[in-house]
Amino acid sequence: MVAAAQHPNIELVTYAEVTAVNGYIGNFTVTIKKKAKYVDWDLCTGCGTCIDKCPSKKNKDEFDLGMGLRPAIHKLFPQAVPGKPYIDAASCTKLTTGKCGVCEKICPTKAIKFDEQDEYVKAEVGAIVMATGYDLFKWEDAYGEYGYGKYPDVISGLEFERLSSAGGPTGGQIKRPSDGKEPKSVAFIKCVGSRDDTKGKSYCSRACCMYTAKHAYQVKTKIEDSEAYVFYMDVRTAGKNYEEFYQRALNAGATYIRGRVSKIYPNGDRLVLKSEDTLLGRPIEVEVDLVVLATAMLPSAGSGELAKIIGFSTDKDGFYQEAHPKLQPVETFSAGVYLAGACQGPKDIPDTVAQASAAAVKVCGLLSKTELATEPMTSEVDSNKCSGCGFCVPICPYGAISLQEIQQRGNHGRPPFIRKVAEVNSSLCQGCGACVPACRTAALNLKGFSDDQLAAEVDALCL
Amino acid sequence: MKKRVGVFVCDCGTNIASVVDTEKVAAAAGKLPGVVFATTYKYMCSDPGQELVRNAIQEQKLEQVVIASCSPRMHENTFRKAVTAGGINGYMFEMVNIREQDSWVHHDREQATKKAADLVRMAVNKVLHNKPLQITTIPITKKALVIGGGIAGMQAALDIAEAGHQVILVEREASIGGKMTQLDKTFPTMDCAA
Repeated sequence: MVAAAQHPNIELVTYAEVTAVNGYIGNFTVTIKKKAKYVDWDLCTGCGTCIDKCPSKKNKDEFDLGMGLRPAIHKLFPQAVPGKPYIDAASCTKLTTGKCGVCEKICPTKAIKFDEQDEYVKAEVGAIVMATGYDLFKWEDAYGEYGYGKYPDVISGLEFERLSSAGGPTGGQIKRPSDGKEPKSVAFIKCVGSRDDTKGKSYCSRACCMYTAKHAYQVKTKIEDSEAYVFYMDVRTAGKNYEEFYQRALNAGATYIRGRVSKIYPNGDRLVLKSEDTLLGRPIEVEVDLVVLATAMLPSAGSGELAKIIGFSTDKDGFYQEAHPKLQPVETFSAGVYLAGACQGPKDIPDTVAQASAAAVKVCGLLSKTELATEPMTSEVDSNKCSGCGFCVPICPYGAISLQEIQQRGNHGRPPFIRKVAEVNSSLCQGCGACVPACRTAALNLKGFSDDQLAAEVDALCL
Repeated sequence: MKKRVGVFVCDCGTNIASVVDTEKVAAAAGKLPGVVFATTYKYMCSDPGQELVRNAIQEQKLEQVVIASCSPRMHENTFRKAVTAGGINGYMFEMVNIREQDSWVHHDREQATKKAADLVRMAVNKVLHNKPLQITTIPITKKALVIGGGIAGMQAALDIAEAGHQVILVEREASIGGKMTQLDKTFPTMDCAA
């Protein structure tokens, strides 16, 4: 993180979103919306006095998935990069009611700016890497048998990560959310939303087998006399040192049970899991203090809209579509746009890093050229035939066609006059051919797929 | 433009040849008006296969080339380069997909062979109407945009920056790091995630 922030060639723009992308490979113009932070980061030293003094302290900390509290002015987490605070407008008393302003008064560098607005900036770039990541499947909406989220001690794997993390709400001690007690027995359920056509997604989320093994290992090693039960369909450990890691969890004493949990219900302050042990072929019940669900990875919220803005496709599950699963795994169908990480499909960290480097090489290959050869199969207009109706202009998905005025010589001694005709920007044109059938006067032709070429093909078949 | 078409039918190992009788397709193509040369080869995309195309262009003085093989998504560029290397404009070339759109989706050998012959006949008639096209060049802005500052975005940005190019790294949240910063230790090495 720090390496990325400190690199002289990297301009970091955080708390910002890309709202528009125009142009084409080698020549994109992007619009970036810098959301109002209400703190001038050029003035702010990151001293943190404002964070300590903010009276609006009892806001659910999104970073800790609601398990901790944060002030209205805060850093995303203490080690945030850049290490500067921002104000969450919704929880700030000054911004919602106009009263307070404590941070403004105490800031030693006068960096608090309550009048800051969202800012839009434009940038010219030659290549784009999509690295929008993933979100987790909302199991609370789908899995009634696990309580639809009404049992506080049924949590997701990411919540377990926060509970286990030294920087988390419990300082790294695994405590269950309901009463803060240390759980002596923890059950893990894999494939919650993954490999489940009826309630979730048909695909395997790839990372869960391994992080669940890690969680089970952590329970066994961090909590004395603890039990860790892992309910699984399969254990998939296809990666270097992965099988060994799974064996490490088994050797630490984790109990793996092959079967789907059909119901979770409370018994006092504990939870009972009903399942089947399919290896023994008999029903099984396990009572535990905490249940952790390995939920499916989904494309991150808003990633689909971004694909539409930039103009490339997504797959049936909403992940970004690679140009070819084997030969072009980091390219999209939009030239100059590349993919890295879980936005292309569920991935663990080693695969993500490898794919990101692959995308970077593709970008470097492009940026190391001085100029780029373009595909000549683009649309062309016969201006003699063009009536200037303009039907083709809104049809072009790449904004490559515009109406231009040309001077026309008058017939039969009439004076010359101005008329409009369509013009194709061959750099923007991707050769899709959508404009050709829209042209009523057959003035538009796609080079390489002209009307006479297509007619010749049909003739060969039919005549 | 003279009408001197060369037709090259690829076996793709057994991918095509097990369902389509490629010899028959080439023989039928050889009789079409304008076709002066027609042949088959086991792997047309391989180096000897491309050499076959290059040599035929020069020896037979071909003006147009039709290659019946896989999807253009796979090898159109490969063959366009081979045709250009043979000495004619790369757009005086048509590719016929007799794998994905024929041998892979049909079982009846006779019908599949007939379909391949039909597709080749269409392409031959089309290529006779092709005109040479010229490639133009566009400038490149030497700067990259990375959208998302998680592991993937940071790694990509760092690699591009290390290669000496400018990068803008845009992140939706107020800090980079993404989901990784929420994780405790990571498998299989149990490193800290920060």
